[in-house]
Amino acid sequence: MGSQLALKSRIASTQSLEKIFNAQEMIASSHIARAREVALNAKPYSDAIFDAVQALAEHTHIDHPIVKSDEKNPRVAVLALTSDRGMAGAYTSSIIRETESLLANLTDKGKEPQLYVYGRRGVTYYKYRGRQVAATWEGDSDKPGVDIAESISNTLLDAYMKPADQGGVSELYIVFTEFVNMVVQKVRVLRMLPVEVVPEERQDSGPVPESTAAQATPLYTFEPSLEKVLNAILPKYIQSRIHECLLTSAASETASRQNAMHTATDNARNLVDELTRKLNASRQASITQELTEIIGSADALNKEEE
Amino acid sequence: MAGATMQVNIVAADRPLWSGTAKSVTIPASEGGMGILPNHEPVLTVIKDGTVAVVDPDGVRHSFDVTDGFISFDSNKLTVAVERGHDVVKTSGPGAADAPETGN
Repeated sequence: MGSQLALKSRIASTQSLEKIFNAQEMIASSHIARAREVALNAKPYSDAIFDAVQALAEHTHIDHPIVKSDEKNPRVAVLALTSDRGMAGAYTSSIIRETESLLANLTDKGKEPQLYVYGRRGVTYYKYRGRQVAATWEGDSDKPGVDIAESISNTLLDAYMKPADQGGVSELYIVFTEFVNMVVQKVRVLRMLPVEVVPEERQDSGPVPESTAAQATPLYTFEPSLEKVLNAILPKYIQSRIHECLLTSAASETASRQNAMHTATDNARNLVDELTRKLNASRQASITQELTEIIGSADALNKEEE
Repeated sequence: MAGATMQVNIVAADRPLWSGTAKSVTIPASEGGMGILPNHEPVLTVIKDGTVAVVDPDGVRHSFDVTDGFISFDSNKLTVAVERGHDVVKTSGPGAADAPETGN
């Protein structure tokens, strides 16, 4: 049987693929620890900014373009966070699906969505289809640093702060993947701008004695002035929120890559088993055939001699 | 431990830099240097690129190079949040000659 050679080479190639998948899985699982650590390290900063914005919201009536939306401007920005590399299962395609439905939704509402894409996979997807993309970022989707968060938030804030007649946008949506746990990652759409600052309802842990009521709402002084503080902190708040989205997306990407690679390794193993079985069967068949041929010809010879 | 102290947290966008108790902290506020002592009134201030200097209860000085950010002081807790930062001279003792401007 000629297919024996073919089966052997398929088994060999599947085995080497299995090794690759296995290695990728191990790489991904080692990256998850790092992604978690990075996210954990960034937490104190985002907490500090969040607290400061809360304090601002509690003590003042924030009146800043970042918290007010310009209803008349139909242009809105949509930022999709995809991955740089493939082999992450449905990670990028679920983001793209969600982005497409969001775009369709916004267009239905009479808005003009502008697309911003982060991650090489998303960029190539939209470039290939000749879609108009306002800005793209590539690189470091599995370990996003402060620099890339800064560049993204600067670009988007510029677009947001620009007047409507100069091509400014009135809203910003982010499509990203939330890291729930190792097996569950959820695609989410977040409206980042204008900021909705929700004051009050700060459930501090532990009971607060009534005597410290004054302490609970300290009267802040803002230096040099409230306006300058707002101007400085709100953009940083946006940047830190975007950084948070990038980090949770990176963790999700790594986790979904690990899952995908795990499944691929299992599939490769099953395939090798199945092919080996086929190979054995076909070898057995050819041996049986040879035997019958030998016996048949021996019989024929015996008959001639008689 | 002599005198009052306060809780200090210095965080950069990508990692926490330092946290602990301190006697005094000097920060590069946007309108010029600002010293903060324990029980300061609650304040939220924008800071610019410069050096944050912390003097801990033992009189040891810690300095950090920081970029712009802000500080908030509230219930005797100081939070310094900056985009990027790193420690400069690790520490210098209480009587060290290479501590030119003591932070108070």
